[in-house]
Amino acid sequence: MTLFSDLNLTIGKGESIAIIGRSGAGKSTLLSLLAGLDTPSQGSISFDGKALETLDDEARAQLRAHHISFIFQSFHLLPELNALDNVRLPLEIRGDKDPDAIAKHWLSQVGLAERLDHFPSQLSGGEQQRVAIARAFATSPGLLFADEPTGNLDEETGHQIIDQLFRLNAQEGATLVLITHDTELAARCQRRLSLHNGQLHEVSA
Amino acid sequence: MTGTIGLAWRQLRNQLRTTEWRALLLACWIAIAIATPLALLADRLERGLLQESAALLGADLILSGQRPISPERLDDAEAAGLVATQVTQFPSMLALDDEMMLVSVRAAQLPYPLRGQIVTTPPQEGDLPESGQIWAEQRVFTQLGLNLGDSVQLGYADFEVTAVLQSSPDRGSGFRSFSPHVIINAADLEASGILAPGSRAEFRLLLAGDEESIIQLDALWRQDLRSDERLFSLRNDQPMTGAALGNGLRYLKLTALIALLLAALTITLSLRRFSNGQYTRCALLLSLGMPPRQLIRLYLLQLLMAWAIVALFGTATGLLLEQLVVGWLEDLLPQALPAAAPLRYFSGAALGLALLVLLGLPPILQLARVPVSHLFRGDGAPQDRRANLLYLICLILLGVVLLSFLEEYLAAVALLLLLLAGGAIFGVITQQALLLLTRPLAKRLLLGRLLSMRLRQQRRWHRLQSAVLVLLLTLLSVVWISRTDLLESWQAQLPVDTPNYFVVNIQPWQKDELDDFFATHEIGSILYPMVRGRINALNGEPIRPQMNEVQLEHNTLNRELNLSWAAQAPDNNPLTAGIWWSQGATEPEISVEQEMADELGLSLGDTLGFDIGGLPLEARITSLRQVEWGSFQPNFYVIFNQEALEAFPATFITSFHLETDKQHLVNDMLRAFPSLTLIDIDQLLQQAALWLKRLGDSSALILAMSLICGGLLLIVTLLQALEQRRYEVALLQTLGATAKQTRQLDLLEFLLLGLVGGLLASLATELTLGALHLTLLKIPVQLHWQLWVVLPLGAALFFCLSGIVMRRPLLLEQCYRLLRSAT
Repeated sequence: MTLFSDLNLTIGKGESIAIIGRSGAGKSTLLSLLAGLDTPSQGSISFDGKALETLDDEARAQLRAHHISFIFQSFHLLPELNALDNVRLPLEIRGDKDPDAIAKHWLSQVGLAERLDHFPSQLSGGEQQRVAIARAFATSPGLLFADEPTGNLDEETGHQIIDQLFRLNAQEGATLVLITHDTELAARCQRRLSLHNGQLHEVSA
Repeated sequence: MTGTIGLAWRQLRNQLRTTEWRALLLACWIAIAIATPLALLADRLERGLLQESAALLGADLILSGQRPISPERLDDAEAAGLVATQVTQFPSMLALDDEMMLVSVRAAQLPYPLRGQIVTTPPQEGDLPESGQIWAEQRVFTQLGLNLGDSVQLGYADFEVTAVLQSSPDRGSGFRSFSPHVIINAADLEASGILAPGSRAEFRLLLAGDEESIIQLDALWRQDLRSDERLFSLRNDQPMTGAALGNGLRYLKLTALIALLLAALTITLSLRRFSNGQYTRCALLLSLGMPPRQLIRLYLLQLLMAWAIVALFGTATGLLLEQLVVGWLEDLLPQALPAAAPLRYFSGAALGLALLVLLGLPPILQLARVPVSHLFRGDGAPQDRRANLLYLICLILLGVVLLSFLEEYLAAVALLLLLLAGGAIFGVITQQALLLLTRPLAKRLLLGRLLSMRLRQQRRWHRLQSAVLVLLLTLLSVVWISRTDLLESWQAQLPVDTPNYFVVNIQPWQKDELDDFFATHEIGSILYPMVRGRINALNGEPIRPQMNEVQLEHNTLNRELNLSWAAQAPDNNPLTAGIWWSQGATEPEISVEQEMADELGLSLGDTLGFDIGGLPLEARITSLRQVEWGSFQPNFYVIFNQEALEAFPATFITSFHLETDKQHLVNDMLRAFPSLTLIDIDQLLQQAALWLKRLGDSSALILAMSLICGGLLLIVTLLQALEQRRYEVALLQTLGATAKQTRQLDLLEFLLLGLVGGLLASLATELTLGALHLTLLKIPVQLHWQLWVVLPLGAALFFCLSGIVMRRPLLLEQCYRLLRSAT
C-alpha cells in the first residue's frame, strides 16, 4: 500500500507550517517520518543536510534529544513524576548539566512557577499541556512538532495554549510543524499544507 | 440461557490464553491445593483424636496427680457409683541386653481401659499383659531391634515381649504422651522396684459411669484440687497428644493463610486487569440490547466454568499433598487416623469458589454498569459509593470465609495485621534503599539519572513487589532454617561436658552407694535432694491476693515446685544479693532465683510460706541467685538451708556427662540400681528434633506453595507495570533515548529491586533467627552467610528473567503510534 506519493516539501529554518487534513489522511504518519521516528520505504528525508534514513538508532536518538521536540494531543506526562521532573526528563536523557534550573525557567515561562511540585493528576488539562510545552522548549529544539495540541482542550483554554505556543516559538526562533484539522489554528502559521490522497498541497491564506 | 452458556464458554476459552486468566486459575488452583489437605487433616485429627476423645482418654473422667491417688478420692468415686481403675505412668529405660531406650511405662490394672480399647498385633485375649509380659509400640521394636518373645529388663524385673501396641487410649499428658509407650501389668510394678515414695510418676484414676455422676464428681473435685492434681474430662479437655497435634495443625493453618491471602490478591489483580479490558466488549453487548442482568450472568458463568476446571485439578493436587504430609507424620502419630468425612473433600474447592465469586462479583457488577457512551467517549463505569460499598462487603465476607475456614480468629487477625505492617515497612525500606543506591549512580551515569526518575515514578509498584518478595523470602527462610538449625545450633554451643543424662527417683538409702559408683568411675556428679512443695504465703499472708494478674500466671505459683537444700551455693549459681547461710543455721532460710524474685516482687527479708505434702513451712529470703536454666544441671527456684528441709521425705536427682566410649557405664549403673529412672537427654532431644523437622517440612511445603503464589502475584503486577511502562518507554524514546538505553534501564531496575529485596529478606531472616536465638534459646546469634548470597541473587534472577521474558521490545516506529493510540 502506498501512503504518500510524489511528496516534496522543504521547510525553512524558523518557519511555521501547518499540515491539515481529514482524519486518516496520514498526518501522523507523515509526522513520524519527518521526525525520523519512522523510515520511508522510498525517498529521503533530510534534516540540516543529513539524510535521516542513513542514521542509526543512536544517531537518531541524539538528533531527537538535541534538535527535535514534540507536543502531543494527550500531553503524555508521566503520571508519577511532578511537573518539574516531567520537564527535566528530556534534559536528563541527553545529560544536561543543570536540568533543574532549565526546567524551572521553562515552567515559569509557561506560568507554572508556583506548581513545580504538582503531579499531572493535580493539574487541569490546560496546565498539563503547558507543562508539555515547557518540556518541549526546555531542550531548545530547532524543530518542534505539535500534533493536535488543542485536541483535548476546551476552546478557551485551547486559544490560550496556542497563544503561548506561538509566542514562545517566535521568541525561540524554532521551526514549528503543526498538525491540526482546525483551519483557524492553521491560519496562524506562515504556511499551510493540506494532505490529501497522499499528496501535499499548499493552501493559500 | 444456552446461548449465554455458549458465549461464556467461548469467552473463557479465548481468555485462557491471556496471562491474567492463567495467573487467576493458577492462584485459585494453589489455594484449593493448600486448603484441601488442611481441611482433610483437620477433620481426620478431629475425628481421630478430638471427637473420639472418650476412646482416647480411655475414660469419662481422669484424675491425674504426681502423688498416689488419695483414699478420699477413691471413696468419692466409689460413693458416686462409678467404675474406677488406676494407672501409673513414668519414664524409664527399657533394656534389651546392652541396648537401652527411654520409654514411657504404663502400669495398669483391670479393667483397663474404661473407654476405647487397646489394639495389638497379634491380637491378645486379655485387655492387659499378663504378669511378666510387656506390650510395646512399634517404635520400641524398631529402635531396640526387638522381636516378639524377647526378654527385656525394666528396673529389677524381666519381661517377655508378647505384643506390638498398635493403638491405645490414655496416653497421659505432657511430653510423655509422645514418647514411645510400653504397657505392663500393675502387679509387676513392685517387683520392678522402680517406684518408691517421692518418685517422679503420674498417678491416674480413670473413671466411667453415668453422665450425671461424672459431672457431679467433676464439679466436686474441681473445688479442692491438690496443687499437683489435674482433672481431664471429655467436656473440658483434649488428650495432650491431640492438643499438641492441634497446635501443629494451627501452625500449618496460619502458614496457609499467607498463601491464601496471596492467592486472593493475585485473583483480585487479575480480575481487575481482566475487567478493565472488558469495558468495550460490555458497552458493545449493552448497546446491542443485552440486559445488564444477563451480562452479569454471562461473566459469573465464565467464572464458574473456570472454577470447575481448577476445582478438579486443585483437589487432586491437594489429595496428593495430604498423602505426603500424613506420610511424614504417620510414624509420629499415636494411632492411625480415620478417613475424613466425605464432604470435607470438597472444602478446598468450596473455598476456591468463595474466593472467585466474592472477588469476582464487584468487578463483574461494575461491568454491567459500563455506560454505552464508553464506545464513543471512553467513559468508564461509575466509581461511586455503591461500587466501593460492594467491594467492602465482599472483602468482609471473604475475611469471614477465610477465618471460619482457618478457625483461628485471633491468631489469624494478628498474623494479618503483622503481615500488613511488615509488608508496609519492608516496602518503604526497599524504596528508600533503592533511592539511596541510585543517588551515586545518578551523579555519574545517564542511566542512573533515568533510574532515579523511574524509581520515583514506579514507587507504588516497587512497594507492593518488594513487600511481597521480602515477606515471603523471610518467612520461607526462617521456617526452613529454624526447622533444623535452631536445635542444632543450640546443641552445638553447649559445652562438651554438658550433662547428657539425668537420674531421678534416687532414694535416700541409695545415695551413698550411688556416690561411690560415680566416684569409682570418675563421673563428676552431685546429688541434689528434692522435696515437692507449693508456695502459698508471702510474709504470713496468702500469696495469691498479693499478686497482680501477670504475676498470678507465674510458673512458680501454679504448680508444685521442686525444692532442695544445700549447705553451699551450687557452683553455677552466683549470688546476686544477700549472703548464703552459715553452717548450722537452724532458722529456715531460703535462696530464691533472681528472675523469680524480680517477677514476683520478692526482696531480701521477705518470708515465703510453703505447703509440703500438707505440712506448712515458712522461710525467710536471705539471698538471691542467678540460675542458668539451660545448663542441664539440676536447677531449683528455691533452695533451703539443710536444717529447715531435711526432715521432709526427699528423693535425689543428679545429672552427669558421659563420653561416647563410656556409655556402657549407664548399663552398669542400671544393673546395679535398677529402680533408678535414667533420662537420656540425647534420645529426648532426638524425639523433639524429629517433631520439629516434620512440622517444619510440612510448613515449608505450604510456604513453598505460598512462594509460587507470591511469584504469580509478582508476575501479574510486573505484567501490569510493564504495560504501563510501554508508554513510558515510547515517550523516552521519542524524547531522545535509544531502545538499548530503555532496555538497560528496565534490567537495572529489576536487578536492583531483586538485590535490595533479597538483602532485606536476608537481614530480616537473620534478625528473626537472632531474636529466636537470644530470647528462646538464650544462645549467641549465628549468621548464615549462604542466605546473603542465595536470596539477593535468586530474587534478582527472578525479576530479571521474568522481565526479559515478558518485556516486549518496542521499535522506534511503534513509539509514536503507541502514544497516538493513547489519545
